[in-house]
Amino acid sequence: MPRARHLILNLVTWSLVLLIAFPLFWMIITSVKPQSELFRIPPTWLPETVTFEHYWRLLSETPFLRYFRNSVVLATTTTLFVVSLGTLGAYSLVRFNYRGRETLAMLVLFTYLLPSVVLIIPLYMMMVAIGLSNTLMSLILAHTTFALPYALWLLRSFMEGVPKDLESAALVDGATRMGAFRDVILPQLLPGIISTALFTFILSWNEYLYALVLVNSDAVAPLTTGVMSMLISAFNIEWSLLMAASVMMSLPLIVVFAFLQSYLTSGFGAGGVKG
Amino acid sequence: MANVTLSKVRKSFGAFTALEELNMEIAAGEFIALLGPSGCGKSTTLRILAGLEFPTSGEISIDDRRVNDLPPGKRDIAMVFQSYALYPHMTVAENIAYPLKKHGVKRPEREAAVRQAAELLQLEPLLDRKPKQLSGGQQQRVALGRALVRDPKVFLLDEPLSNLDAKLRSYMRAELIELHRRLGKTMVYVTHDQLEAMTMATRIAVMHGGRLQQFDTPEMVYNCPANRFVASFIGTPSMNQLEGRVEGGAFILGPDRIAIDRTMFRDDLADGPAVLGIRPEYIQIGRGPLQATVRLAENTGHETILTLELSEGSRITARVEAGSRHKVGQVLSLGLQNDAVHLFEPGENGARLNKEQTGAAVIPMRAQ
Amino acid sequence: MTAIATDPPMLERRYARLGVVLIAPTILVFSLVIVYPLLAAIYLSLFSIYTPTLQGEFVGLDNYAKLLTQKAFWSSLGTTLIWTVGTLSLQILAGVGLALLLHQNIWFRSLARSLVLFPYFLSTVVAVLVWRWLFNDLYGALNHGLMQLGVIDMPLDWLGSMPNAMIGVILVGAWKYFPFVVIAVLARLQTIPEHLYEAARIDGAGPVSRFFDVTLPQLRSVLTVIILLRAIWDFKEFDLLYLLTGGGPVTSTQTLSLLVYQEAFGLNRMGQAAAYSVGMMLVMLVFMILYIRRTGRES
Repeated sequence: MPRARHLILNLVTWSLVLLIAFPLFWMIITSVKPQSELFRIPPTWLPETVTFEHYWRLLSETPFLRYFRNSVVLATTTTLFVVSLGTLGAYSLVRFNYRGRETLAMLVLFTYLLPSVVLIIPLYMMMVAIGLSNTLMSLILAHTTFALPYALWLLRSFMEGVPKDLESAALVDGATRMGAFRDVILPQLLPGIISTALFTFILSWNEYLYALVLVNSDAVAPLTTGVMSMLISAFNIEWSLLMAASVMMSLPLIVVFAFLQSYLTSGFGAGGVKG
Repeated sequence: MANVTLSKVRKSFGAFTALEELNMEIAAGEFIALLGPSGCGKSTTLRILAGLEFPTSGEISIDDRRVNDLPPGKRDIAMVFQSYALYPHMTVAENIAYPLKKHGVKRPEREAAVRQAAELLQLEPLLDRKPKQLSGGQQQRVALGRALVRDPKVFLLDEPLSNLDAKLRSYMRAELIELHRRLGKTMVYVTHDQLEAMTMATRIAVMHGGRLQQFDTPEMVYNCPANRFVASFIGTPSMNQLEGRVEGGAFILGPDRIAIDRTMFRDDLADGPAVLGIRPEYIQIGRGPLQATVRLAENTGHETILTLELSEGSRITARVEAGSRHKVGQVLSLGLQNDAVHLFEPGENGARLNKEQTGAAVIPMRAQ
Repeated sequence: MTAIATDPPMLERRYARLGVVLIAPTILVFSLVIVYPLLAAIYLSLFSIYTPTLQGEFVGLDNYAKLLTQKAFWSSLGTTLIWTVGTLSLQILAGVGLALLLHQNIWFRSLARSLVLFPYFLSTVVAVLVWRWLFNDLYGALNHGLMQLGVIDMPLDWLGSMPNAMIGVILVGAWKYFPFVVIAVLARLQTIPEHLYEAARIDGAGPVSRFFDVTLPQLRSVLTVIILLRAIWDFKEFDLLYLLTGGGPVTSTQTLSLLVYQEAFGLNRMGQAAAYSVGMMLVMLVFMILYIRRTGRES
């Protein structure tokens, strides 16, 4: 390719990429600007002074850490629950023959597309009825409604990628079905399981609607509703503080992006967007 | 040593019938090739033997014991897969040791057995590698090692050589023959490659469309094919099949009359439509009642394959010496070696009408 | 040992039983948190229920009569369609465009891809906070940026007036969700065999006709799937719209999801809300069946 064209291509692409990423930079920049600099007109594009006071205040003066802990518990439990159910379920859906298996797979796909608002009213009534409202447990159960179909669907296509011959070989070699699953399939499925777990974790971490409806006590609020309540409750919106909270809230995601990104992209191929 | 019996085995997937009433008796120590084009049911048969598929009906027994309800691991079989199916996360040694581990063999004995198998197959320097680090041929040998190590009653091999290049394949063919001779175990070998079947097997089961077409020695399958399918499937180039009619002592092919020896054929052979089969090597060029035009002459080095067009329009192939100089367009007269003629019933897969042992001299193929 | 021929063999039955055992926990959870609530939603839509007390009475099809005769559902459906079509077209355009650029051999390609990918995985809460700050009419970076570039000379009220609010949510929706299109298209681009381009080049095709004659036909099937999937997901989007505008100004960005929520937890009419949600699902069913049939055909 001619040099000039290559240069233009790079410039165009990178300007677009930076434009798209600008809100992210702006979030970080705002979070380290001192309050006084924030309300400058016109705004300073780069901070004149860098301060971490907002982060300090966020951690020491607000319930952020509690929200964070709630979110960790919520997302981790949901992920463990859903991925373990989903792995066994996917094994069954892909490698076993029984009546109704196909129908079941279609049902999974259907629920994968189902809007949350349809389920939220009965779920709310159910949680109230069994006394689970305002608990993390209710959120874990609610998150299962979207996370389980999602994980099952993802794991199903990962499972299809494990060569059938491997399981057959293990059976011939003397393993039982579950033995073959443990010795041969599980190690092969591991990247798929990691990928699914990451997706599920992120889904659960980011979920807002169920938390909004099912939990109204500050003690069990996860990050999503918790941080939003900081916006609403403040008399004067403290944008720097909120941006610091946003950065902190995205921390797990940043870690995943830095170290495990290939798992995210491989999950995409499996997630029903094959063409 | 163990015999293997399939009786009245049927397999259908929904409306599709993969196997229709398969009966097969395999004696202890035989090397059986299941041969046929893809989709003929040969792999299904092997997987049913292994217990990886379930027959819709019928009985399977190994060593005179009914095994229908036994899981694969309890049938005392070993299997080599086309894809080798080596466990990617295990080393070569762990791969070979796996079946022993699953059968409760203790570690010291396991290690000894693995060493022994590795020695037999020259795998010692590779024992600590992962399958990904091996060449195709080495993976193949590991798969064999994993099958050998447990000393099973029956070996099942599912196109084990088809992923190797031509040179390695012919080397492994010889190795497998040698292995069979040394171990004396019953082996069932699935292949679509007639060369493998002809050179290795003691008997070949030719399959087509879920049916067993013929189950006999390589010589018989080649020289006395049971029907038109077997006749055309075995042999390269395949047997010429000419549609015409039988009238008295002659086969009528368009304007031509080919004299046939009726004593060679079944007594109930009646006049009427029939198919004449003749292998390319039994066509005699230069003399005979037929006229043909050379359409193609392919020199393979050690022989020349001629494609000839008969006067009534059908094409036949003939195998001649490499040196012979035939030109395209040249008109030749030709005849058929009389004792090498087969007759088949008309129709897509007409049965052979010869008496049992006729149809060219029976040549021994592999010393037993 | 005298099993009837039609009976499946013992081993096969044993495996089938194990398969059912393995899927059983999933089915149990499914029935509990999805199937039961789904049926309950339909059942509840026949009642009039006051949310704070959860008490109510059977009203038959009244809620559906209201759904059909009153304006709320239909105007919300209209809003939903505007939002879906608007944001989806932007997502596809931006997604395909950027995928084509990122498929080229540019500097720091994987970093560029990561940056583009990031918004998709970001929490909607975070995305909304950042964008509300960007949209801020007094101190927002967007207004000042546009003013410094000379596009506008007065700060705009982005989320408080129409049509700006709709444009705003469509824009943020596109920003958040277009990476999905980028990844899916990029993955497909990588599988287009190079020899197709070589053949086109030999036939004298320029870059533009190579795109229309080679790339686009190869992308067609993946684009169909993406459009169906994203249409379904955008149609049911709640978080982004609710947090950005709350459906406002008044109800001008109130999509069906927001209408259901508002009816149930704002106006305390749970039965009516359930009816709305069932109506919404029926509309979505068309797309869902299309997608399911397509996926079923592939596998």
